[in-house]
Amino acid sequence: MAHAHSVKRHKGLMDWLTTVDHKKIAILYLVAGGLFFGIGGIEALMIRVQLAKPMNDFVTAQQFNELITMHGTTMIFLGVMPIIFALMNAVVPLQIGARDVAFPFLNSLGFWTFLFGGLLLNLSWVMGGAPDAGWTSYTPLSSSTYSTTHGVDFYTIGLQIAGLGTLIGGINFLATIITMRAPGMSFMRMPMFTWTAFVTSAMILFAFPAVTVGLVLLTFDRILGANFFDVAQGGNPVLWQHIFWIFGHPEVYILILPAFGIISEVVSTFSRKRLFGYSSMVFATILIAFLGFMVWAHHMFTTGMGPVANALFSIATMLIAVPTGIKIFNWLFTMWGGQITFNTANLFAAGFIPTFVMGGVTGVMLASAPADYQYHDTYFVVAHFHYVIVGGLVLGLFAGLHYWWPKMFGRVLNEGLGKLEFWTFIIGFHLTFFIQHFLGLIGMQRRVFTYLPNQGFDLMNLISTIGAFLMGVGVIVFLINIAISFKQPKGVDGDVWKDGRTLEWAIPSPPPEYNFKQTPLVRGIDAFWKEKMAGNKEMTPAEPVGPIHMPSPTILPFVMSVGLFIAGLGFMFTNDDFGNSLLNFLFGNYIITGIGLAITFGSMLLRSLFDDHGWHVEPEELNDKGVKA
Amino acid sequence: MTNHDLNDGSAVKHRHRHEGPQKHIIAFVFSIILTLIAFATVAAGGVNIAFTVLLLLVMAVLQVLVQLGYWMHLKDKGHMMPILFMAGGFFVAGLAIIAALYWMWW
Amino acid sequence: MTTPHAQQASSALPHEPEKATLEGRNKVLGFWLFLGGEAVLFGTLFATFLTLRNQVADGPSASELFSLPITAAATFILLVSSLTSVFAIQAMHRGNRTSLVRWLGLTVLLGLAFLALEIYEFAEYIIHDDYGMTTSAFSSAFYTLVGFHGAHVLFGILWISILIGQLFKKGLTVVTAPKVYVSAMYWHFIDVVWVFIFTVVYLLGKVVG
Repeated sequence: MAHAHSVKRHKGLMDWLTTVDHKKIAILYLVAGGLFFGIGGIEALMIRVQLAKPMNDFVTAQQFNELITMHGTTMIFLGVMPIIFALMNAVVPLQIGARDVAFPFLNSLGFWTFLFGGLLLNLSWVMGGAPDAGWTSYTPLSSSTYSTTHGVDFYTIGLQIAGLGTLIGGINFLATIITMRAPGMSFMRMPMFTWTAFVTSAMILFAFPAVTVGLVLLTFDRILGANFFDVAQGGNPVLWQHIFWIFGHPEVYILILPAFGIISEVVSTFSRKRLFGYSSMVFATILIAFLGFMVWAHHMFTTGMGPVANALFSIATMLIAVPTGIKIFNWLFTMWGGQITFNTANLFAAGFIPTFVMGGVTGVMLASAPADYQYHDTYFVVAHFHYVIVGGLVLGLFAGLHYWWPKMFGRVLNEGLGKLEFWTFIIGFHLTFFIQHFLGLIGMQRRVFTYLPNQGFDLMNLISTIGAFLMGVGVIVFLINIAISFKQPKGVDGDVWKDGRTLEWAIPSPPPEYNFKQTPLVRGIDAFWKEKMAGNKEMTPAEPVGPIHMPSPTILPFVMSVGLFIAGLGFMFTNDDFGNSLLNFLFGNYIITGIGLAITFGSMLLRSLFDDHGWHVEPEELNDKGVKA
Repeated sequence: MTNHDLNDGSAVKHRHRHEGPQKHIIAFVFSIILTLIAFATVAAGGVNIAFTVLLLLVMAVLQVLVQLGYWMHLKDKGHMMPILFMAGGFFVAGLAIIAALYWMWW
Repeated sequence: MTTPHAQQASSALPHEPEKATLEGRNKVLGFWLFLGGEAVLFGTLFATFLTLRNQVADGPSASELFSLPITAAATFILLVSSLTSVFAIQAMHRGNRTSLVRWLGLTVLLGLAFLALEIYEFAEYIIHDDYGMTTSAFSSAFYTLVGFHGAHVLFGILWISILIGQLFKKGLTVVTAPKVYVSAMYWHFIDVVWVFIFTVVYLLGKVVG
């Protein structure tokens, strides 16, 4: 990258390590996110096996704590977040008619820091024990007094690094959507998925710095002997809860908003109708994001904030049902009277709507503070958040993956297998979690590693476990479907669903490196549909054919992330006695940490000193399919 | 703050209207005065505590607004997005601070 | 980067060279977004500090610990450095590289002076008063908040120094100008954070601590 204009095209593995192409980064996010999703899924199945019968000893209590902690942490931070970023990377630049994201280098950096943070966190399994204080890592349970392994250190530092990657990704998408839109693509003409990507990125920007601070405080408490959460020295454990949830509650809206966007796209495309109430959808999205920041303390009703605070947060929480309800009705009205095609993507979207409503209803129930004293820390809560995260987000992600798979890979997923996947997954899902509402109501607490027989828990837990395995079957069918799809030749029609409405369907599948041969001119909402209805076969170009500037590939983001990984690992073991004077010297004096940071900041320096002038795709190299023929 | 350094040489080469240093110096003097009021009130002591707290906070907010507006150009045209996102950041920061002041046990 | 990136002669620079290219505009906007996030970061640190402001355990309280003259000196130094970085940007807008480098150099020197004062203050507490990170919840919060700001100052000093080097080597171009502009934004933001630190930590510490 240091040499201006002489572009090095890498092949094979080096291509993937150095790529700054948002479409390839999308695939990286999908593979890595899919991997962690699989790990989290296996952890979930182990949890369900342990709970399948009373007094089971499949795992020990300590192992169970590690499993539930890592299941939650992995699924949220390393599983679904990256898959959301995969779809955002694959789709958002295409939907706004851009050739690239605003910061290709940062895009790559965001991916690699996420990946190395995730690897660090999962390294804990083989390095002395995984984190065991729950995905919320409440103090004092997570303090060095009560959590004596390095597990929580892996949690704090791994999430710190992964969170940095997410923050970088968020800033990149905000800037991309603000500055890189094609001519005519005003904010109120943006496709709904792009809108939700925008709002989600804004929420990432405002929420992640809070958890950064929280994790720093916990790290300092555990490694430097600080007293933020140590009551004996004046610290305050509730401080952790506030900081965690000021981040944590917006985080769940960060997760669900992109799913709302996906559902809007899929429902509208396969109903052959414009999205009903587009402006109210935009308004509802922003309102949900705003309210999402105002309700964090509803996770803390039982900490004793007092009736006034509890009442305020109750009301604010219930208010969120209003914009969410607007969205639900808009999707229903979009389908109403439409020419609906129930293919796999639309089945997932249609399955999403009632399932998510059920999660929303239990959410309103939980929002009532007095009732929450009953539900708190029971399986009712577990059922609720799995209904919104799996029944909401994961169904949305499956819809999105089936919908945009041809765009990302140039191959269509098999419909028969897709339908099998949908039915096994959704039946398995309801079997697993619907019954958990009642388990909670009759008194089964969450996070217990086993239970006594004959309390009415036995059968319901068994049913729940059977459902979990059915969901596992659904995911395996999806993987088989993927494998089969790669046997097909690449290159389906650009507008593979025939009814594509937005700009990504106006270009070939998969799109060329530069996306658009000529930047398209946008003349309304659903820009491509509008052109098709006007009798045009392709978008009207907004510029003549000319050389296209591209950023150069670079290995630096990868190296920077490796540096952070080394620094984090070094810092974690500062106070350990290795029984080896050299190792003690290297770790105890922050030398390993220093080396890691030197690698990271050294790479930053290189990036600053050697300007990347990029390279150009010349007009004669452009194939004729830049704008759909 | 020597003026000859600011007005020499290349400025004549192109005809853009460059803003002078005056308003930035005014912003600076304003900031200094606000800072002095704050420090002097505390150093003098004896003033009503509630009033002092309020005064200090008003001085700080005024100074920050001046610096954001003039030195970071947020008051200039074309800064809608920066204003929106800075306001968002300050809003969430404010939520955290309100939580700290009102909903912690001590 | 459709505009030529080889513009070396500063006389050919547009009025606001930091906004001449799409890359430059993106960089400035992206940095604003980053500062929005930084506001939350420092806000959360302030929230932590405010929660623990009276939790001094066996250690001295804020009003016993702090010395106003040092804080006043540090405040004045940082305020002046913010002004010098404003002048640096004005020099850049006039296309005057020499003046730009001088003002940036002065900013770095003032930053170093501020950092020296802060290190002196911390050393006094740690060495003379035996008052460290582990003393109390208040001390942990104090060192973390003020230390985070100090680390930002250190990063800013290194950053601007490297940019001065680049200005000598590459000249003032549409590539270097956005870098200078965002470093100045960063420096102003450090000053903004300091306004809250001297008010909330030091002055209010004296008044109610």
